[in-house]
Amino acid sequence: MPNSFIILFRSLLMFFITLLLVRLIGKKRSSRLNSFNFITFGVLGILAALISVGLIGNLVLGFIAFMVWGLLPIALDYLGLKSIWIHDLLYGKETILIKQGKIMEDGLNQVRLTGEELLRELRSKNIFNAGEVEFALMETTGEINVLPKADYQPVTPHDCGQKVAPQTDLQTVILDGKSLDENLTTIGLNRGWLNLQLERSEILLSNVFLGQVDSSGDLYLDLYDDTINLPQPKIKELLYANLLKIQADLTAFSLETQPQDAKDMYADYARKLKGILKKTEPFLLR
Amino acid sequence: MTVGSQVKQTIASLKNAQATLKIYSIQSQSEETRRVFNEALSTTGEIISGMEARLKVLEFEEPQYKSR
Repeated sequence: MPNSFIILFRSLLMFFITLLLVRLIGKKRSSRLNSFNFITFGVLGILAALISVGLIGNLVLGFIAFMVWGLLPIALDYLGLKSIWIHDLLYGKETILIKQGKIMEDGLNQVRLTGEELLRELRSKNIFNAGEVEFALMETTGEINVLPKADYQPVTPHDCGQKVAPQTDLQTVILDGKSLDENLTTIGLNRGWLNLQLERSEILLSNVFLGQVDSSGDLYLDLYDDTINLPQPKIKELLYANLLKIQADLTAFSLETQPQDAKDMYADYARKLKGILKKTEPFLLR
Repeated sequence: MTVGSQVKQTIASLKNAQATLKIYSIQSQSEETRRVFNEALSTTGEIISGMEARLKVLEFEEPQYKSR
């Protein structure tokens, strides 16, 4: 057998075995490499290359080395699931760099990080003043994660005491001018509903590039023709305005009406409607 | 515009709002949203029936403005 065929055979073999092994090692490892993972992947890559070009002549010997480097990390991973001690041995522990707003010089020395490098890392997290940091640590992958002090954290609706409507994911129901029936049925709608919506906005299905339904059931459309300005759904805002107007009307009635019982009735309704407005505001305006 | 027709207009607006609330109470995905809209729906229903009763009184008082 000529040499070229041997190389071809070995390469194909190693290609698929490596592919299989990498799938087996899984997602967790490849997304965040710590230095040990990096070495295992490196060794695996080099071994695969050496075996396939025949620098390691004996296939069996090559495979032994390959399998040890490939399977042992997987086995250790499983052991690490069972025992924290093994896990720490494998992955090490994260190092605290800043605690209660103070930089831990011991921690910096331990991970051999200079002050300048720490500042650079903080800047990459958009923190230019080290005084804004409450807590920072270096993960076992070498990544630095930072918790800003409470008064430097971004404001959330929770901080403002604002209630917001729960939002589930958007469902894409039209793509490239075709309706996606599967996505429609997952939110309990069908083609009939879609056609009705399109008819209402006087648009052909084939003209729509993207159509999405949000959690309140409104349909957002993007057309191929960008010169057409489609009115975006403002039904909820209109409803809120309508309710506001009714409330104002009721208040006016209660002021204008003479009989006391009718006056009280209008005032009572105006108050009830105000309650509704308050309750529905997060759902209608946000 | 008489008081009667003003009240009628408000009832019409209320019914419009009620219909929209009904749509959202049906097509919303989350349980909580549906609950809030249903609550609003029952309150608007109550207001509508109360206003309609008041409208009858008004039409009795000013029969000349009664709509045919």
